[in-house]
Amino acid sequence: MFEGALAGLRVVDIGGSVSTQYCAKLFADHGAEVINLEPPNGFATRLLPPVVSNEHSSNASALHGWLNANKRSVVASALNEVDIKRVLTSAALLLDDGNNPGWLATGVNVRSVISWFGTGESYANYTGSDGVCFAMNGMLRTIGRIEGPPLIPTGYQAQIVGGNTAFIGSLGEVIASELGNRTEPVNLETSIMEAMMCFTEVGVVGSYNSGLHAERMGVNRFPPTYPMGVYPCKDGWLGVTALTPSQWHSFCELLDMQEFADLPLFQTAVGRLEAADILEPMIQEKLLLLSAEDVFYRGQQQAVPLARVPTMEELFRVDQFVERGAFTSINFPAGTQLTVPGTPFRLFTTPPIAGGQVAALGAHTGNYQND
Amino acid sequence: MTDRATTLKGIRIVDLSMGWAGPLAARHLADMGADVIKVESCERFDWWRSWEATPEWIADNGAEKSERYNGVNRNKRNVTLDLESAEGRELFLQLVKKSNAVIENFSGSVLPKLGLDYDTLKQANKDIILVSMPAFGTTGPWQKFRAYGSTVEQASGLPHMNGFAEDLPTMQHVAYGDAVGGLNGASAMLVALRHQARTGEGQRVDLSQVEGLFPLGIHGILHQSALDEAPPRNGNAHSEFAPHGVYPCLPDSDSDSEPTWLLVQVFDDNQWLALKRVTGEALAHFDKSYNSGPARVSVAQQIDEALAQWTSTQEANSVAAVLQGAGIAAAVARRAFDALHDPHLNERKFWQWQERVFVGNQPNGSAAYQVNGQPIAIVNPAPTLGEHNTEVLGELLGQTNAQLEALETKGIIGTKPRMPGTRS
Repeated sequence: MFEGALAGLRVVDIGGSVSTQYCAKLFADHGAEVINLEPPNGFATRLLPPVVSNEHSSNASALHGWLNANKRSVVASALNEVDIKRVLTSAALLLDDGNNPGWLATGVNVRSVISWFGTGESYANYTGSDGVCFAMNGMLRTIGRIEGPPLIPTGYQAQIVGGNTAFIGSLGEVIASELGNRTEPVNLETSIMEAMMCFTEVGVVGSYNSGLHAERMGVNRFPPTYPMGVYPCKDGWLGVTALTPSQWHSFCELLDMQEFADLPLFQTAVGRLEAADILEPMIQEKLLLLSAEDVFYRGQQQAVPLARVPTMEELFRVDQFVERGAFTSINFPAGTQLTVPGTPFRLFTTPPIAGGQVAALGAHTGNYQND
Repeated sequence: MTDRATTLKGIRIVDLSMGWAGPLAARHLADMGADVIKVESCERFDWWRSWEATPEWIADNGAEKSERYNGVNRNKRNVTLDLESAEGRELFLQLVKKSNAVIENFSGSVLPKLGLDYDTLKQANKDIILVSMPAFGTTGPWQKFRAYGSTVEQASGLPHMNGFAEDLPTMQHVAYGDAVGGLNGASAMLVALRHQARTGEGQRVDLSQVEGLFPLGIHGILHQSALDEAPPRNGNAHSEFAPHGVYPCLPDSDSDSEPTWLLVQVFDDNQWLALKRVTGEALAHFDKSYNSGPARVSVAQQIDEALAQWTSTQEANSVAAVLQGAGIAAAVARRAFDALHDPHLNERKFWQWQERVFVGNQPNGSAAYQVNGQPIAIVNPAPTLGEHNTEVLGELLGQTNAQLEALETKGIIGTKPRMPGTRS
């Protein structure tokens, strides 16, 4: 029944956070058997908005559905101790959010805990959030208008990054036991805050060496270069990045601004960033009269890294994504279908599972009640 | 913490990637103990060392001083090979023969142009894994298009979910797609390595870095998909929670007038009551009728104004600690650099210091997954250009000293970068 590169692996999620579920989702996408061992009312993600219509309230969360397609839902309290022990000891990986300290790794399996800060005294009782992680990794300070306030990135971005990071550590340890590199159980611990340092760790070292710090320079204005931002055109939005001298030169040609192409001041990324206030009104004015679609293709032909910046309505119709089947469909218990992104990476010989079924709360409890 | 991790011991990965995303992906594998051999050439060196190389920069050993490059290439070995020469290409294929996998993040046209497409790699090693992670993926009409991490973010649509409606769609102000691409690249490689470990079989792996950002924008994508309407751009306001924002505090002592900004997010009614206790009179006029989320959201702007008035008289670090002590999600919008002195990170030994030639003692952030209560050891700093030419090309591929000298004379290998087009 389970096919894919991770077939044969059993993963048990007892944490039920966005992070543990995203980590487990990557396992499920590639064929692992993922069991959500849920409390009687289900994991809290079952209630997160937005919800799809015509589904029971415990099954209607679109986010829960996307995170949990192709997984199994088991209500833990409906299993006896023997059943639970059998499920746990047969798992290659136990995922937890740090709130189930008694559930330890056994045999050669991996217990992987994903929490906001990891163990440690200073933040032991701190309340974490996606926003707190963005504040602590230094990104929040730099986003938004110069006069403030800094802007909080929306959604569950830190939790997804934490889950993806834990996937790397967890699968690495699973492989280690299969290769014989590890013969003992292992406890992994991923701190979401530390995972979020991946965005700014290089900046930390840069500041350590230079004494300079990234400050808020205005919306879409940040090192290391200019122009780098999102611009309105007559038919939509264009994403611009010009980093190298040749990219700047080609970009000037695209916008019929050749007089700026060879100016010595604008030959470096830093030079252009310092002169951004001069250049920005001209670039905005030029692009407003042009077609984003046209500039995008002409720019890419000249090796300038431009992008269409699709709205969410446009996203599902972008040629490249349609051709690649980047979006798929999941089915909810009462039959509702929802278009969602597929898995980000595809293996050609052992392809990932596209789409799938979202389990109603406890739908698979009976499968694991053998004693 | 001095021993190299053995998690992926015995696995060898050839790292052709450059910039941030690919090298970060390979860094995860190197941290876990894989033998990651980074391949550059003296002329086509990793552009993350510099995208504006000059002869003066080369003379000043600028290639070895990039904290960007050094940050994402630790625990790896480094060889130089001119892949545009027949001999360099042949040695590369010999290296492929002795490896489990290759990772690259060029645009889709580069490997075929070098005569190193997947079929060629397979002829050298039928079980090789090739993880290709161009911005838009290896298939589709945009497979050869170029991108940086910023382009990846733009193309994912994520900017349409951030910021105020009256501002331009707002980016995250780092090359956001790169670090996420790194996570997905490492993940993709591990999935393929697991299949190879079980069956011996290699395969091609396709990673679109743009599609890799969809999970980070999933809240907006699902809003559109489930409700058939665009996600709102409400700045710091939240549709369910209030107060939820970033509020001005007293300026830093070394700053003149710029406020220090404090993030405060109240996610439930108990946290609201705790916030009222901490702030005293400031929020007292919001009576019991505001003890529910929807009620507070309906007057979010008034709460924000009252809270901002109170925070503007407070010292940010002190009040963040007090609010956290009361169970409220709060944090100072600090500089990234401040994380170097973060007590919690330092308790957990997150920063590991490594002496590196040309730059001295440097901090390195650990992999964010600790093993049995310890961070994974960072044993070796980033290699210098061609540092392991003798070790890899000699000991592993059997090139004699005379052959290595000849390769160096021809400019196929070396330890110093050259300006493009200067090979003898």
